[in-house]
Amino acid sequence: MRSDASQLAEARLQLKTLISDLPKGGPAEQAFEEPWQLRAFAMAVAAHQEGHYDWTDFQSSLSASIRRWEESGQQSWSYYEHWVNALETVLGSSGALADPLALNDRTRETMATPVDKDHHEAHREPVAVSPATR
Amino acid sequence: MSTRTDTPLRSHEEIVARVKALEALMIEKGVMTTDAVDRLAEVYENEVGPQLGAKVVARAWTDPAFKQRLLDDATGACAELGIGGLQGEDMIVVENTDDVHNAIVCTLCSCYPWPVLGLPPNWYKAPAYRSRMVREPRTVLADDFDFTVGDDVEIRVWDSSSELRYWVLPQRPKGTDDMSEAELAELVTRDSMIGVGPAGEPSQT
Repeated sequence: MRSDASQLAEARLQLKTLISDLPKGGPAEQAFEEPWQLRAFAMAVAAHQEGHYDWTDFQSSLSASIRRWEESGQQSWSYYEHWVNALETVLGSSGALADPLALNDRTRETMATPVDKDHHEAHREPVAVSPATR
Repeated sequence: MSTRTDTPLRSHEEIVARVKALEALMIEKGVMTTDAVDRLAEVYENEVGPQLGAKVVARAWTDPAFKQRLLDDATGACAELGIGGLQGEDMIVVENTDDVHNAIVCTLCSCYPWPVLGLPPNWYKAPAYRSRMVREPRTVLADDFDFTVGDDVEIRVWDSSSELRYWVLPQRPKGTDDMSEAELAELVTRDSMIGVGPAGEPSQT
């Protein structure tokens, strides 16, 4: 069920190298605040490790997205929103995400059907009890 | 060569959905595997969050009035310590005693009190844990987590949903009477707040 410690340590070392040269405010300096941020982070590294793009291309796409934000004068800041922009850009260039409209459609579908659509109800009793036997 | 220079910032809901959609598309196209993403995420999942829950537990161990407030209204008590951030979602803390041990699960997906415990570990999201923890909790704790709950102790398993999320107040370890709140917080592990392990023992010095 769980990866062993040496696998984790090795992955950690590889990640350290990858994240050491990213724009400020990223995973080298600050903890992930929400699950989607970590997911987006891991997806970008996984697709790179599968050989879909060079890490330097991802880095420059990320910098470019941040630069556009600076130039636009927008107030609200989300590092990982730029991260997602950059991921879409490099996947688009590599051909892995050839049709950007497919992503828009899928996003709308996802919003219309949350994964936990059946799980909004609060469960106020234990779902299982294993009684003491002695 | 971005085509998205003029895309306005998205709502929180939309960005969450977009990341999910992107992952689903990439996996369908064989760009990467869920396993690879899970493995990378695992490197970080224990670095975030559990410290916040640990702070709350240590406070509850040292301040009986706070503990009572935590058990009465976990969301409110956590907010006292500046911890929270879930919108409109309630948390309930269930207390372990000599007679009752609690553990949490999300039977349907992976609902998890992440503002307090950080990111859910991969095994928490795995179908094996989600189904077996309900069917045979005592065996799962013993076999998968090497954690034996005495047979004089009742085990209760609580199902988190997106409306109501549970987490566990572990028992304060013995021999910790002289420890400060900060020292106690270091004994509180993520697993002990999920209920799949005890809080750590004080080291012998």
